[in-house]
This record gives sequence, structure tokens and C-alpha cells, in this order.
Amino acid sequence: MIKKADIILAAILIILGGMIAYMMASTDNRGHAVLITVDGKEYGTYSLYENKSITVKQNGHINKIIIKDGMVTMAFSDCVNQTCVHTGAISKTSQSIVCLPNKVMVQITGQGQGEAEYDAISN
Amino acid sequence: MTQYQTNRDKTKRIAVSAVLASLGLIFSYIEAIIPFSIGVPGVKLGIANLVVVIALYALGGSYAFSINVIRILIAGLLFNGIFGALYSLGGACVSLLTMIILKKTNIFSIVGVSMAGGVAHNVGQMLIAAAIISNIKIFIYFPVLLFSGMITGIIIGFISYLVLKKLNV
Repeated sequence: MIKKADIILAAILIILGGMIAYMMASTDNRGHAVLITVDGKEYGTYSLYENKSITVKQNGHINKIIIKDGMVTMAFSDCVNQTCVHTGAISKTSQSIVCLPNKVMVQITGQGQGEAEYDAISN
Repeated sequence: MTQYQTNRDKTKRIAVSAVLASLGLIFSYIEAIIPFSIGVPGVKLGIANLVVVIALYALGGSYAFSINVIRILIAGLLFNGIFGALYSLGGACVSLLTMIILKKTNIFSIVGVSMAGGVAHNVGQMLIAAAIISNIKIFIYFPVLLFSGMITGIIIGFISYLVLKKLNV
């Protein structure tokens, strides 16, 4: 009952997924800064190398983000699904922690102290 | 006589739709109380889609659409939350539209149609998530969601095939 078109479609999807996964993996870089956005707007940027605990309070929602030893984790969230807390620790530029119910997003960016230092030397 | 028959046929379809919507609601509930998770956010089996695929083949696209919208709205009000219903609705619409189009081409089997539906469901949900969070970086999960959508879609497709064979519709 499986037709030829099914197999072709499956092959196309596997190749597409593999290509995107490869592209993501090849652009995987060590980040330098932690960018926290709330509802698409920037909440704050923090260094990835400085141990810090940030509590984001907005619209009655609480999210607690911990930066420790170059890794970022969502330690606490008052959201329903707890997906953000279960995401675990992130440290690379392609990674992010998203809390959709609270619209909080934690991203790792390349711009930060590392690049600032580089600029200082080249100037 | 023919009028009577078409009326009776329509009544039967509506009754079957109601039963399938209830069944889908039970599936949604099962998934809400037993979280099937493999540790990747957004990945779940989606057993409620079984009802949608069966409805699509047994009753047609418009019936499948109604059943799914009713199921998602009620599930949202009862246990998933309205916020969750918004994602589900987006994913479900993209998924069902894909399945209707692929079914119309007549070159795919139910497994292929279901597989494409599974992938479309995840991509649709991700598009809504990207729109709400207004950030495109959420596409990091794309490969994971694509493969998980394929696998769950294939499983749902196989089960639907077996069920429909038994139902003789």
C-alpha cells in the first residue's frame, strides 16, 4: 500500500532535514554574550563568562535565568509547560531557551566581551 | 427516496463526526495526562491526529476540518489552555491543508499523506511560535521537528490504514 511517491517524499524530507541540521551544526560557535528578550524586545545582555543570576519579572510572570561557568540555564519559570526549564544548559550561538507562555527568550550571541576585545586589539 | 437517502447519509456523517470529535478529545486528554516526551521540546506523538486522518479518508476534508477545530477548542478550554490551543490550531490547519492537497493528487498512500501532515503540523506550529516570539532563531528546532513529524506521521498513517481496513469505508 506504500506508493513510490511516498518514498520519494520521505527521501526529500530526510535530505532537507539533514541539510538544515548540517548547516546548523557548521555554524555552531561558542558564544560570548547572553541576550534576554521579552515579547521580542531586548531585556538585557549579559556576559557568558560572568556568573550571574537574573530574574525576569513581567506581567506577573517570573523567569529565573542563571549564568554559571559559561553555561546558561532557565532555573525557574512559573509557566505551565516548563519546556524552558527542561531545555537545560546552553552555551553555543545557535542555541536558545524559549519560554513561549511567558514570551521570554534567552539566546547566546557572538557579540560581547570576546569580540570587543578583538576590536580593541585590531584598533 | 433519493432526498431521504441523502438526508440520512448526511445525518450519519454528522453523527460520526461527533463521535470522532469526542474520540479526538479523549486522545487529547490522554496525551495531556500522560506526557509522552523524549526530552526534546515540542515533540509528542499526537495520537489525536489519528482521528483527523481517519476522518479525512472516511468522511472528507471539510468534516475532518470541523472535527479537528472542535477538538482543539474544547481541549484548549478543558486542559491545554487557550495559549496551547492557538499553536495547535495553527499546526492543525497547515497539516490538514497539506493532507487534503496531497490526497487530491492521488499519488500518495495514506501513510505518505499522514507523514506529510505530521511534518506540516510541526512546521506550522513553529511558524506560529516564531511569529509570537517574533524571532526567527526558533528554527533551531527545525530538523528535530521535521524528523519527529515524519516518524509520528508514518506511525499514525499505518494505524489509520489498519483501522480504515477494518471499518470497510
